[in-house]
Amino acid sequence: MQDLDVTPTETPLDTLTTNGVEPGVSVPHAGAMIVFEGVTKVYEPDVTALQSVSFLIEKGEFVFIVGASGSGKSTLIRLLLKELEPTDGKIIVGGRDLTRLKRGKVPMLRRNIGCVFQDFKLLSDRTAFENVAYALRVQGEGRNAIRRKVPEVLALVGLADKMSSYPDQLSGGEQQRVSIARAVVNHPPLLVCDEPTGNLDPDTSVGIMQLLYRINRSGTTILMVTHDREMVDKMRRRVIALELGRLARDERRGGYESE
Amino acid sequence: MRLKVLSAEAWRSLAANASTTLAATMTVLIGMFLLGLSIGLGTWVLSWSNHVKKELVVHVYFCTELKCGKDATKVQEERVGNYLGNLPEVRTLNFVSKAEALRIMQRKNPELTNGLTSNPLPDSWEVIPKRGEDVERIAASVPTGPASGVEKVNYGKKTAKRILRVARVIEIMFLLAVVVLLAASALLIANTIRLSIFSRRREIEVMKLVGATNWFVRGPFMLEGLICGLAGSLLAVVLLVLGKEIALPAILGHIDDSSDAHALGFIWNALILLGFGLLLGAMGSGVTIRRFLRV
Repeated sequence: MQDLDVTPTETPLDTLTTNGVEPGVSVPHAGAMIVFEGVTKVYEPDVTALQSVSFLIEKGEFVFIVGASGSGKSTLIRLLLKELEPTDGKIIVGGRDLTRLKRGKVPMLRRNIGCVFQDFKLLSDRTAFENVAYALRVQGEGRNAIRRKVPEVLALVGLADKMSSYPDQLSGGEQQRVSIARAVVNHPPLLVCDEPTGNLDPDTSVGIMQLLYRINRSGTTILMVTHDREMVDKMRRRVIALELGRLARDERRGGYESE
Repeated sequence: MRLKVLSAEAWRSLAANASTTLAATMTVLIGMFLLGLSIGLGTWVLSWSNHVKKELVVHVYFCTELKCGKDATKVQEERVGNYLGNLPEVRTLNFVSKAEALRIMQRKNPELTNGLTSNPLPDSWEVIPKRGEDVERIAASVPTGPASGVEKVNYGKKTAKRILRVARVIEIMFLLAVVVLLAASALLIANTIRLSIFSRRREIEVMKLVGATNWFVRGPFMLEGLICGLAGSLLAVVLLVLGKEIALPAILGHIDDSSDAHALGFIWNALILLGFGLLLGAMGSGVTIRRFLRV
């Protein structure tokens, strides 16, 4: 496997300040993909998962979210997908205020956010092709569009020859590629990855990261929760670190740990 | 297009989850078979008890020389007849003259009438109420004594009471049986569906995460439930037909069919079963899935 291209491209976005938005102040975030304004999430009865977290992620950024278990990373992802409601604060995704988004509109939100998970979340009784096609079918895409788009995106992730394999006939890396294909087949502006390499060996992880990097370069914003220290240190991208529910660090070209 | 996707999704999961599909269908089958059986038996027993209740009659006997010293007059008899005829509870009213009464007696018990020199039987009104339960009220409302010319009113007090009590018990038992069976089969089916949905909650989670609307997820499940419900209740109807055509004549071969006690028409029974099967299947899955849609 070839070496991972780790030179970050200079973008004008890097010159913008991304170090937190003052809570309560409504700023017109024209170019922002995700805005967290003083977001607090308390699980009943009194477990505080996130404590007034604020940050802003521009369109096209590649952001790592790091932190120990229980630091609130998963809560952050679930808030983004509106699986949970924040106890306090404001979340804006792609210009839409999630706290004001009606429940009926949640499917529309999710169609605009690709999701990749540590455990792939593939449907085991469907082939790679069918798993990817499902994301299109959900939106009412026609048979012809599905026949055109699915092979295209599976070829993009390097699985052109495994379209009719079932998940249990594929390796972990291949399954993750299927799930990435499913996440990006709709060309969502935002891709959220929850430890996508958590179950994979280092070599396979590099391949997945290269794929995500390529997707990011095509303009998709990527938010990636990870424990992969080596990867974060190598890529030198923006790192948001959470500690016990608080924003501990937000560095533009950070490492896994503060230096 | 939408419909094609829906039925394709439903079909694929029916085939992929053959064992739960079978379990759900069998549950519906058992529930609907028992329900059909109890509807059939129950309506037959109800109709039989109605039939028995119809046999309850009030007899109003008029005075004869033998009993009160003088015969009741025609006027008195007609007055009582008018009174009875105007009661809302009365269905039919027959006048039985003493001559007729003797003829009936002769036919029923010839040996009793053989040595008679004169006709000792009274004129009477035979009153058939609309509802068996009314015999007592009707009987009590007819005035007796020399003024009205009525010697006595008879409605087979003890028999009537017993019949009414038995009929009442039968009605309650039938209702209870149907309610219990309905509840039991609903719970059983809901439980089976819950198991089948629970085993697929991961699938539902994935569907929701890629942006499926609730109805997109629910649709195929409900269609599946519908198909299971339909298949189960159809099988139940087939079993009941077999039972009716083969088992019933063997058991009840020597009971004559002339009485006017009849079970609810079989077609109706079958339609009720199909309706309930469909409803239980579709509603069962539709309601059960709600819990799993909150992702």
